[in-house]
Amino acid sequence: MSFSSLFHRNRDLRIGHEPCTQMDFPDNLFPTFFLPGPPGLNDSPGLYLAPAWSDCMQLLKPPQTQDPSVNPPQHETSYVTKWGRWKSDTPGPLPFLRPGPDLWNPELTPRDLLFQGRLRRPFGAKATVDVMEQLNQFLWDHGDIAFGPLGKLLQEDFNLGKAKKSRKDRTVMNAERLLQDLSGHQPKGCPWAHLSTRQRRFSLLGGTVLAEEVEGLLGGLLHEELETRWKGLLLDETSTGGALAWVPGAKPHVGQLVYPTGQAYNQLNFQKVKLFSTRKPQAVGDPTQILLQGPVRQVVTRTVQGEALLAVRSDHHCAVWQVSRQGHPEPLQVLGTEKGATGISLSPHLPGELAVCTRSGAVCLWSPQNGLKQIYKDPETLVFKDSSSWRWADFTAHPRMLTVADRTGVRLTDVRGPSGCGEFLFRVGAEASCQRGERILLAQYLGTSSPVSLSPTLHLICTQFSLYLLDERLPLVPMLKWNHALMSPPLLAELLPPPCPGAPFPLLLGGLGGHLRMLHLSGGSSHTPQLAAPPQSLPSLSDSLPGFPVLEPHGQQLLQDRLKAPLMGLAAVVPPSCPSPTMLLFQLSAAGDVFYQHLWLQPDTNSKSADSLQNSKSCTDHTDDPGLHSHDQSSATSSLDTAPDSGAVSWNPQAVACCRRWLKTLLQVPPALPPWTPPTFSQHPLRWLREEVKGKVREGLQAAMNEGRLLQQRDLGPLPPSDPPPAHEPFGPENKLTERLEAFWEGKGAIWWDSQQGSTQVPRKRPSREKRRTQLSSSFSSIRATSDFSDMDSHHGTPSPLHRMSEASQSQELSQEPWARNVPRERRQTLRDYLAVLPSPESENCSSPRSQNRSSQTLPTSEPMSHSVPRSQDPRTQTPLRPHQRNSSALCSQNSGIRSLPSRHTPSLAGSQPLKKKPRMGF
Amino acid sequence: MMPSQPPWKQGLRRTDPDSGSADLQLRALPTVSLSSTRTCESGACPVLLENMDTFSDELTSPGEEDDQVEASVGAGPEIHLPWRLQHIQSIVNHGHNGTNFTRTTSICLNFIQEAVLKHQWQQASEFLQSYFQALEDVNSQKRQVAPENIWKLGSAILYHHPKSNIETFSAFADRMKNIGVQNYLKISLQHALYLLHKGMVEDAYRNLNQAESWRYGEMSASQEKLIKLIQAYRGLLDYYTWSKKRTELARFDMDTFASNAATQDMHSYFRQASLNLHEIIEIPGVWDPFVKSYVEMLKYYGDQDGARQVLTDYAYDNNFPSNPNAHIYLYKFLKKEKAPGDKLISVLKTLHQIVPSHKIMLEFHTLLRKSKKEKHRKLGLEVLFAVLDFSGCTENTTAWRYLAKYLKRMMMEKHLDWIQDGWSSRKDWWPTFHFSYYLAKKNWKENKMLALKKAFTSGILLGKGCKYFMYVSKQGHKVKEKSIKTMKKFVKKHNILDSEEL
Repeated sequence: MSFSSLFHRNRDLRIGHEPCTQMDFPDNLFPTFFLPGPPGLNDSPGLYLAPAWSDCMQLLKPPQTQDPSVNPPQHETSYVTKWGRWKSDTPGPLPFLRPGPDLWNPELTPRDLLFQGRLRRPFGAKATVDVMEQLNQFLWDHGDIAFGPLGKLLQEDFNLGKAKKSRKDRTVMNAERLLQDLSGHQPKGCPWAHLSTRQRRFSLLGGTVLAEEVEGLLGGLLHEELETRWKGLLLDETSTGGALAWVPGAKPHVGQLVYPTGQAYNQLNFQKVKLFSTRKPQAVGDPTQILLQGPVRQVVTRTVQGEALLAVRSDHHCAVWQVSRQGHPEPLQVLGTEKGATGISLSPHLPGELAVCTRSGAVCLWSPQNGLKQIYKDPETLVFKDSSSWRWADFTAHPRMLTVADRTGVRLTDVRGPSGCGEFLFRVGAEASCQRGERILLAQYLGTSSPVSLSPTLHLICTQFSLYLLDERLPLVPMLKWNHALMSPPLLAELLPPPCPGAPFPLLLGGLGGHLRMLHLSGGSSHTPQLAAPPQSLPSLSDSLPGFPVLEPHGQQLLQDRLKAPLMGLAAVVPPSCPSPTMLLFQLSAAGDVFYQHLWLQPDTNSKSADSLQNSKSCTDHTDDPGLHSHDQSSATSSLDTAPDSGAVSWNPQAVACCRRWLKTLLQVPPALPPWTPPTFSQHPLRWLREEVKGKVREGLQAAMNEGRLLQQRDLGPLPPSDPPPAHEPFGPENKLTERLEAFWEGKGAIWWDSQQGSTQVPRKRPSREKRRTQLSSSFSSIRATSDFSDMDSHHGTPSPLHRMSEASQSQELSQEPWARNVPRERRQTLRDYLAVLPSPESENCSSPRSQNRSSQTLPTSEPMSHSVPRSQDPRTQTPLRPHQRNSSALCSQNSGIRSLPSRHTPSLAGSQPLKKKPRMGF
Repeated sequence: MMPSQPPWKQGLRRTDPDSGSADLQLRALPTVSLSSTRTCESGACPVLLENMDTFSDELTSPGEEDDQVEASVGAGPEIHLPWRLQHIQSIVNHGHNGTNFTRTTSICLNFIQEAVLKHQWQQASEFLQSYFQALEDVNSQKRQVAPENIWKLGSAILYHHPKSNIETFSAFADRMKNIGVQNYLKISLQHALYLLHKGMVEDAYRNLNQAESWRYGEMSASQEKLIKLIQAYRGLLDYYTWSKKRTELARFDMDTFASNAATQDMHSYFRQASLNLHEIIEIPGVWDPFVKSYVEMLKYYGDQDGARQVLTDYAYDNNFPSNPNAHIYLYKFLKKEKAPGDKLISVLKTLHQIVPSHKIMLEFHTLLRKSKKEKHRKLGLEVLFAVLDFSGCTENTTAWRYLAKYLKRMMMEKHLDWIQDGWSSRKDWWPTFHFSYYLAKKNWKENKMLALKKAFTSGILLGKGCKYFMYVSKQGHKVKEKSIKTMKKFVKKHNILDSEEL
């Protein structure tokens, strides 16, 4: 008995039912020219032809070869009447998760870089980068970097102390008087600064030389930096693909949102979410967090053969996790890339296979089981030369074929074949009637592993102008082209399953600026993909602003900035078993906020009635042609009346309450105003710290560097007591003035006053004027702190070596001083002179610095606070003074009252605050 | 030009003491202006100019140009980002530069686009009425772009507006054709297609006819191509009429005189249609409907050679895109012609190289299977393997049945090396792609026939230890599936793993 005959006998088996193969090729394509050439070819008629008809004409069916009059095209119901219209519950997305604790600052804006004033040229509305301003800022903020080396160079030619009458020193200029002129005020920034003739002369003589050096050395670096910043501002390609993903769970109504948070985007969150068909989705518990070593740029997820995988791309690392059915992520493998990865994608065919591409132009197939296999490498771009090192790789309908994309084209590459061969899928050129300067920003494979897909061979390609759909079986000829007109780079796209069987596939397109578009693609097998309805725009995060209560200007600005943050990720989920087709759209902003929006297909009753209305009208109105105009007008008014209530959705109370709750949490986060410190010359204040504190500081520094964020006070341990400057006082977190104003506004002024009287009596005893004077004077005298040449290990408890030096100036002992070791013998005198010129701490304070400071070191922490200078009410400055900090400064100040190093100079504030607040004393 | 000096230095040199700002432009910026100036010189694509308008009068200073030229030599133009202008304008202009007119116009355009994207057709149409002022823009480039914008948006609005009708659309199109002569042909063609879509063939034909006879000055290359396309569409409509006449002629038994006249009439339509269609087919492109109708007419008049030539050219001309349909048409034509098998095979072989996943490949396989040449029979196996490589064909029961059957035959015929050849490039991924445990469960649940065929194949290719084979045979055993026993027996005897060892 043969094997095959057995099969035929089995009648009970399901035989013959041939599922409609998904690989049918449409047998009648839309006519179009195919003219190879460079992009922006002037005489390419393609611009006017079928695929380019971005608008309504896409809806036209290609003319059939049978006569349409014989078989008149049935007046097919439009998409809207057939399927309805996607509607949102609210006019804008709603906050889904509480705002994170990290404060978000809006990123660089063009305003920060470009010259803003009015140029004198009459016709030149020119965008110029304000280099002067930037350079100016740089010199202010990083004067030590800018002028330090120059100072070293000029060291030999200037004498800072008393003039020496030796022959050798004839060429050495005495700068004593110059320094005297300079001391006491900062000429720069002070419009009333007095410029002595000496200073003028010096600046005239030396200005050109000095300026040129700084300009020459810094200009290049600054230009380079500005250029990259500007480019990044215009096109930030790092987040291509999006960093928000939905991992479906074991049950259809649960799943997880995966997204990065943290200021450095290095915390990967797995947030369990429960979906409901009618109510809003619910976050279950706190998210599981995984701390990564770099910023998360892209999160991809796929479920292949029941295995949910999650891939994450960071700048120099890629990682894969397997998500169990219970939702626990289990790390599989990490890949390091030296040049930086630009794209990662998961295979929809084989579980655990990934494609990774790097800036060096290499594309690798990566699977945790089989390791890495480089399949393509070319540092040059595909079609023509382009400077961008962005690369992208994705899968195709064939599991062994990959697409390799860069800015100029997309190529199909066989994994098994030799590298570099394969045909083009897409080329920026005249074939697709591309414009001049058009570049690919996103190339995504639209096929999925699910059986319901539009067509397993379709690829989406987005440029800054248009969206293309290409079938890999007919390369180079776009099946569809639509001009998206997004005012930000479209870096996110997602094809969703149809809301109900037979309906078109929604395709979401998200721009970095938060603009969202939804396209409705119909087609499937044996039809070319077409737009079933005109594309729709969806509300962006900034559309939610009216849903929030009105705040005072500062808060409003904060909220506005937050809502305008770039869109970093997009995930759409179709909740199961809903009576009407719905969709949940999650959005992740660069501020780390996750918003959601509930969309549902509203059956369109309006247009049906309108259609019937129109039919009846057209029947009656056909007779009087001149009446067309009036008819138009009447219809205009009538529809104007009906349109708003049908189209507009308003903010319902629940939504407003949701927004309000979120806002409350957002505003609770204390605004991290950097504590103000007076300018200081000290670059090495950290060295004065105690060993254990130093270790802590180092850890903090390390952590901050790892995360790539700004060093913050909390990294460095408790803040030393510092007095905010007088000018800043009213803006402190505990704002007396506001408080008082508020109290008076509410008519409780008297109560406030009484309470104030009671509470502040004791600390207010000392007049603050004295204190302020100390601060101001100290801010200029703090130069002493710089001279810590000593090895940091030696004397932590000692006061600045300089203090001792000044005490023992001119003595032989000096040469044994640790600080002097690094100074050449001949320069020591100059330095000594220089230091002598400086106002020195009173000798009586430092008469026995060692002993004093030893004793202070043994002082317990609980030493009465009255020893130190009175402090303001700033709670942040109330941190207990540490003994080692008090040793020289606080006690000194107490004694002298004039010359002191206020304790705030000692710790590491220079590093703990934004660099902008760095020394302001120029040369 | 100071080549030794870095570019930023030149920038800093240009410091303008009066304005107090260094006039250094980032390299990314001036290239915008360069590309714009270049486009202006070369006659300009209007869409680009629209965006570039503000930059059009901005010429770069010589120092920068060196840079740019350097940067753009041998390379394409720099990337052009439409939002860059927006970024800059918000800073630079502050409303100083634009007049109220240009500002209101651009705001209006934004409103229209927004309304269109929100499907607020009524609102969009009202905004559009205000946008007509753009036609009077003093800036000539903007004035040129305006009609195009109006047509694009207006036609979209009228296409979707619930209260619009064909008359309104036609009136609008007729108006727009004559505003800005550049767009006449384009609008005519789109108008005709719209009418065609609405089933108004005669009106469409009239429109195309009018457009074809339109002359205005010297025609640009793109307009010439557009005329060709318009003629082709007219030819297509002629073909419709021709085919209608043909069916009429066949249906009614007319007397000789009447039939003669009708035939003459039909011939004249054929001549018109063939002339136009023939012309467009020569130009590289995708011309499926045109080729099909042209070939059909040629065939009717007995010009088999001509038809074959047209199809062959369409399929094999290297200037044309590799359109799978072209090969399909040729194959179907040859098949109808009863061409020899080798000829058919050679056509499908080309198609196999372009689109190995095409559904006609199964037909190709049967052709190859029947062929007497060993080479073809070997190819037959490869074709099946290639079809099943694609993710869209994984559940194609026919293909799996063919493969199971063919593999069995190969085993019997001792063509083990053929199987090895096909299998060697697939053995590292087919097991996970096709024969995983997950898929075994899924296939068995959804389609038992498919599961059985796949199990048999997996048994031959991977031996009886394969998960898929084991699962299906176990399940089959449970439901007392009789074929399982035979299958197991066969696999035990013949599988390439064991044969390898031997």
